[in-house]
Amino acid sequence: MKIVVLYGTETGNAEMLAEDVAAEIGGAHDVSCRNLSDHAPGEFEPDALYLLITSTYGDGELPASAQPFAARMAAERPDLKGIHFAIFGLGDSEYHETFNGGGKTLAALMIAHGAAQIGERVAHDASGPDLAEDLAFPWAEEAIALAEGRLGEAA
Amino acid sequence: MGAAVSGAVAIVGAGPSGCFLAQALLKARPDLCVDLYDRLPVPYGLVRYGVAADHQGTKAIIRQFERLFERQGARFFGDVEIGRDIGLDALRARYDAVALTAGLSEDRRLGVPGEDLPGVMGSGAVTRFLNDHPDAAEPGPLGRRVAVVGAGNVAIDIVRLLAKGPEELEGSDLSARAAGWIAAGGVEEITLLARGPASSAKFDAVMVKELGRLAGLRIEAEAEGEGPAAEALRAVAGRGAGPKRLVFRFGAVPAAIEGEGRVAALRLASGEVIGCDAVVTAIGFEAGDNLGRDALRAGAEDAGRGRLAPGLYAAGWFRRGPRGTIPENRAEAQEVAAQLLADLGPGRAAPPPPPGAVDYEGWRRIDAAERAAAPSGRCRAKIGDRGAMRALAAGEEVSP
Repeated sequence: MKIVVLYGTETGNAEMLAEDVAAEIGGAHDVSCRNLSDHAPGEFEPDALYLLITSTYGDGELPASAQPFAARMAAERPDLKGIHFAIFGLGDSEYHETFNGGGKTLAALMIAHGAAQIGERVAHDASGPDLAEDLAFPWAEEAIALAEGRLGEAA
Repeated sequence: MGAAVSGAVAIVGAGPSGCFLAQALLKARPDLCVDLYDRLPVPYGLVRYGVAADHQGTKAIIRQFERLFERQGARFFGDVEIGRDIGLDALRARYDAVALTAGLSEDRRLGVPGEDLPGVMGSGAVTRFLNDHPDAAEPGPLGRRVAVVGAGNVAIDIVRLLAKGPEELEGSDLSARAAGWIAAGGVEEITLLARGPASSAKFDAVMVKELGRLAGLRIEAEAEGEGPAAEALRAVAGRGAGPKRLVFRFGAVPAAIEGEGRVAALRLASGEVIGCDAVVTAIGFEAGDNLGRDALRAGAEDAGRGRLAPGLYAAGWFRRGPRGTIPENRAEAQEVAAQLLADLGPGRAAPPPPPGAVDYEGWRRIDAAERAAAPSGRCRAKIGDRGAMRALAAGEEVSP
């Protein structure tokens, strides 16, 4: 399967996790990993699965490297019908009012432009007991399993 | 590494800026030898000793830095002070490039009469004590009324730690000694004094909102004007019914600290006198002396790009002054790394470790001992003594 891991990062934690996820699933699939700041909305392809990993920064906002992407989405209004993505958010429940705001915002942005979310949004809590990869690896495997047979079909 | 090494870079200061710089260098050039020196036997600088004990989520960037040492091949040489144990010139002679990321460790002074009275303390000294820094003495007693001077996140960190109840410190690594100092103060009233208006306050909105959730606190703020800090202040003003009172005062310029033998009051430029038992200044930081920061910067050939002299660079607070959060320092470290790599010619092999340095394996032993000693409700019990750190690093048994 063609899989693109896209990450939004501010302090580098989401970037490290994205690289780990790409390495974990890389043996069995055609995987690439890129920063959302380097990804244009027009580059989404229907035959790929997009694994989106983003942190949350400030007052529940998207991290710095996802903000240019969000701005381009708003400006270009791409039609993402037929595009499949799964979403994993990093956050800190110390800030519970805005916990995982970045993941919520990015998923909503994709759906608003017609993309289809695969599986549930999974949220990691920096103040919790789990390591991010212990949640993210099963999340990625689940998304890949759910995406089998769905990619390239009309949404 | 060995024969594959094609250049050696020393980084002075293993805090977040130094670690992000090393990360960026090794990501671009995995063949480089990158050595991080720190005057303490332990790495991570302000992530360990500046980020508040109850902000463990922010400290999670340490996982990136662990990877730096465990997979990217960086070496840690702790307990080595450049300028004392090894001269800066001697270090430069051993490496192709040296980057100074030693931060700014001295509290900036208010510059008003009475500043040296007992009961006046700098935020750096307080923060280091609250984080069990080996050089931090216990500050004098706090007392019932505390004035905090400053309009940045460090001031908010101090207010929050003074205001939190025991259950709100669950999961932190605040030590019993630090918690005992706060509790012994019996703080009832905190006045935060900011020189400018609320609209120019440098607090992050999310930090202000966090105060609004504390069970023991009631907040008063007359915050006018635009901006996220002012809006967040208006959102939390009037919140809470706790026994501790927090008052934000804007446009409050300290003119003198008054008292006989210890702090009794803070006098503002307006003539108003605010009674208080302790004053914590949180108005920024300055360099300690031994790296000769001022002279290096004065002679800098291209300080704008972080280059002080051929083969000598600076990043982080040491370069820019005490402004900018962790992500800003990461972005800057990446820029300085790009400049350093662009300048780097064919390089030399990794120099031998300096004698007596605590290496990364030594730090791992300290880290493991600290985690194992964590009491109930805490994630870690920091070792606050250099001798014990050295002994643990050397693999000796140390009784807690």
